Amino acid sequence: MPEIRVTPLGAGQDVGRSCILVSIGGKNVMLDCGMHMGFNDDRRFPDFSYITRNGRLTDFLDCVIISHFHLDHCGALPYFSEMVGYDGPIYMTHPTQAICPILLEDYRKIAVDKKGEANFFTSQMIKDCMKKVVAVRLHQTVQVDEELQIKAYYAGHVLGAAMFQIKVGSESVVYTGDYNMTPDRHLGAAWIDKCRPNLLITESTYATTIRDSKRCRERDFLKKVHETVERGGKVLIPVFALGRAQELCILLETFWERMNLKAPIYFSTGLTEKANHYYKLFITWTNQKIRKTFVQRNMFEFKHIKAFDRAFADNPGPMVVFATPGMLHAGQSLQIFRKWAGNEKNMVIMPGYCVQGTVGHKILSGQRKLEMEGRQVLEIRMQVEYMSFSAHADAKGIMQLVGQAEPESVLLVHGEAKKMEFLKQKIEQEFRVNCYMPANGETVTLPTSPSIPVGISLGLLKREMAQGLLPDAKKPRLLHGTLIMKDSSFRLVSSEQALKELGLAEHQLRFTCRVHLHDSRKEQETAMRVYSHLKSLLKDHCVQHLPDGSVTVESILIQAAAHSEDPSTRVLLVSWTYQDEELGSYLTSLLKKGLPPAPSGGS
Amino acid sequence: MESAEDWLVESLRLYQDFHAFDLPGATRVLEWIGDTGVFVAGYEKLKRNEILHLTLPPRLSVKENQGLLPERDFKVCHGGFSDRAIFDLKHVPDTRLLVTSGLPGCHLQVWQIAEDSDVIAAVSTIAVPEKEGSLWPRIAICPSEAPGVLHGAQLSGLKVVDLESQKVTYTSGVGDSEELSSLQVLDADTFAFCCTSGRLGLVDTRQKWAPAENASPSPRSSGGRWCADVRAKGQGPGPSIASLCSDGQLCLLDPRDLCHPVRSVQCPVSTPSPDPELLRVTWAPGLDNCLAVSGFDGTVHIYDVTSRDGTEGPEEPLFTHRGHLFLEDQGTGAAPLVTTHTWHPCKPRTLLSAASDASVQVWEWVDPRASR
Repeated sequence: MPEIRVTPLGAGQDVGRSCILVSIGGKNVMLDCGMHMGFNDDRRFPDFSYITRNGRLTDFLDCVIISHFHLDHCGALPYFSEMVGYDGPIYMTHPTQAICPILLEDYRKIAVDKKGEANFFTSQMIKDCMKKVVAVRLHQTVQVDEELQIKAYYAGHVLGAAMFQIKVGSESVVYTGDYNMTPDRHLGAAWIDKCRPNLLITESTYATTIRDSKRCRERDFLKKVHETVERGGKVLIPVFALGRAQELCILLETFWERMNLKAPIYFSTGLTEKANHYYKLFITWTNQKIRKTFVQRNMFEFKHIKAFDRAFADNPGPMVVFATPGMLHAGQSLQIFRKWAGNEKNMVIMPGYCVQGTVGHKILSGQRKLEMEGRQVLEIRMQVEYMSFSAHADAKGIMQLVGQAEPESVLLVHGEAKKMEFLKQKIEQEFRVNCYMPANGETVTLPTSPSIPVGISLGLLKREMAQGLLPDAKKPRLLHGTLIMKDSSFRLVSSEQALKELGLAEHQLRFTCRVHLHDSRKEQETAMRVYSHLKSLLKDHCVQHLPDGSVTVESILIQAAAHSEDPSTRVLLVSWTYQDEELGSYLTSLLKKGLPPAPSGGS
Repeated sequence: MESAEDWLVESLRLYQDFHAFDLPGATRVLEWIGDTGVFVAGYEKLKRNEILHLTLPPRLSVKENQGLLPERDFKVCHGGFSDRAIFDLKHVPDTRLLVTSGLPGCHLQVWQIAEDSDVIAAVSTIAVPEKEGSLWPRIAICPSEAPGVLHGAQLSGLKVVDLESQKVTYTSGVGDSEELSSLQVLDADTFAFCCTSGRLGLVDTRQKWAPAENASPSPRSSGGRWCADVRAKGQGPGPSIASLCSDGQLCLLDPRDLCHPVRSVQCPVSTPSPDPELLRVTWAPGLDNCLAVSGFDGTVHIYDVTSRDGTEGPEEPLFTHRGHLFLEDQGTGAAPLVTTHTWHPCKPRTLLSAASDASVQVWEWVDPRASR
């Protein structure tokens, strides 16, 4: 039990199916439940058979934690809870709880309606799954049960993303999910206190990269937009309701202002309302700057950005439009795309990953001819740009986080061990910790030495103090006592106290040893000889000759008796209690050596 | 902050492409491996340094469909640790070996890039005759079937050592203790040297020491520190040797007559340069008569030195790269100093530059003379 076991689930080394099992202090926790976007069959789900081959998973897991709303961290959740079966609590932050179902539903629509998949989770399943969710606040300690507690920390990355600390007794694990150590225009940087967990689990997908600066990415975006607008073209930016859209808007607004540009920028109304709604709800999750602006005015009251009307798409001249949905799979963004695709002056900028089957995915794969409904073929002449704005921690970020949390060990998931030997050495040398890199399906076992608090009875302490030796803070001190484990408490008490509490009587152990002596005199005389002999030898001990003929040394009794068969042999019975074992054994060996010859002229 | 935003907007017009990175530690080395990888190495004296083999973002290497590649990051391909400061690093072509030099300068370190993992490990050392001190040997690789390392901190100690056998295959044999600032292998039998005094020479290794040299430095040099770069053969007309002084003087020479510079110009740089050892001048491999100069401050200057009729006055740079001054996030007191730069082997106007604040930038400048 004093060990922590971690198993990243699923087959293959690919990114894109975050799902990690952790066993700590007898509790089983599942971290994230992601979908692998590259596969169309069962390979896209984590392999839950590792937990159990049949039946529901409720009995095997104490809780499930979801770090943020990206599909590669929560995409398999409805499948897991409703189709495989789990009824326990699912923990996530409030923004994640609000946004997850939207993305899951979007994804479901694409899978079922666009790709015609059977055996996929239904809308009702998504709803039922979300009913099991328990939302948590940042830095709030949540008791899952009496022993297991979790706490969420700010992770940056996307709205509502959190890193989680899982604690049982004195053992803890921190799981980072995806995080970001550099603040951007609308989110802050990840932060954790010096919580010193036994283990820090972090994604290592970007561990071997050195990130291009945020400003350069923004510059690239501005350049593309500017060039297109300058030549009279139109720019379409398909976005999700939340996330990069806000950031890019702020960026364009600043740029338009500075360059005194006149081309209109539009933002579809659906987006504005939803975005405002969520940002108002989750204002504490954004960074300082946004909070300040929000206080002053509505997030989306930009000078240069206006609400979009579908009729505007036909207006001549340059413009920029932000429209949903983000993968061009339906709705307004797809409508606009169809209108503008044929003109090479125009441009579409995809700000993120697109699921297979969507128009977004197809054009990002380089397709220049698309088959639309009704067998219509759409020729793509507009420029297609794929820009990545997602913020992940790189090698530098990982080192920073490890420095903040000060874990005893580090575990990197989703990387190829051979390609991360250098990073492993770097972490091990810099922080003097162990660094593990399990493959999917491989279990890492971490031995821990948990400290168990024990209460010592006052009586026992006083007795120890009475022994005279002063306690030394630097040296361990050996105590003898009885450990009583009752309910969840541990107490160390004296043996007498323990016996009393348990209503037991103390057993006495008495040893008796027979020593044969060659002596033909009477027993009393033998006893006398023994007495004289021991008295002369054991000057430090109390040796007495009792009226009944027996000899005592301290509390050890020696009696002389006749041998039943041999008249010339006397039998000495040496008897002592367990407490006097040492002296008893000593006396016995002494007597076995024999007695000195009796003075001549015996009676 | 305000000026940084201004510069960002300016940069849209100044640069075709721009990437900026922060390394774990500042580097004085930017050594190419192929045209998609570079090596960088730390030069801290008291802490452990890293040698990194980085691959450039795919966007920079690909010619078509650039728009479909979102990745703009360096990838750390291999890494290793060094206890010594590394001031120079050379890759031995067609092998997995590296040679580094730094302080203390008593030996060169040979490294091997692992094949089945991402580790760069130290494998052997090459002893050098220099005593310990503030001098460190310059290095250049003589590529051949049996590659050799040309090294030396002073003219007297110039040697070529066979990498495998560690046997000395060439030695200058002179007693001259002039300090070297650069060494460059030109072909199988020739190398060029430049001393800090400005003394330049081309050496044929098949003969005993008898280099084609320039005369003692011109009276104008006033004790500055010199470095030089020799353009590869067959790269355009005009003088092929450029030598730069820490007082801003740039001399262009023809190898056939090293005593008489073809042209001498004054670069508008702030002098004295804070660390003359960092001065660097390089010829553009893809452009005619273009040079890059760095080491005087946090900028890199590009000069077009095509001879034109007219005055010999101060030369204005064709382009000034100020990225290291404006993208510096911390705003700490000292302005960064550019420690090294290099041209991209295939893309004519793309350069990489590194600065003392651990930043590395990859930039493609727009020729201001090109018509819109």
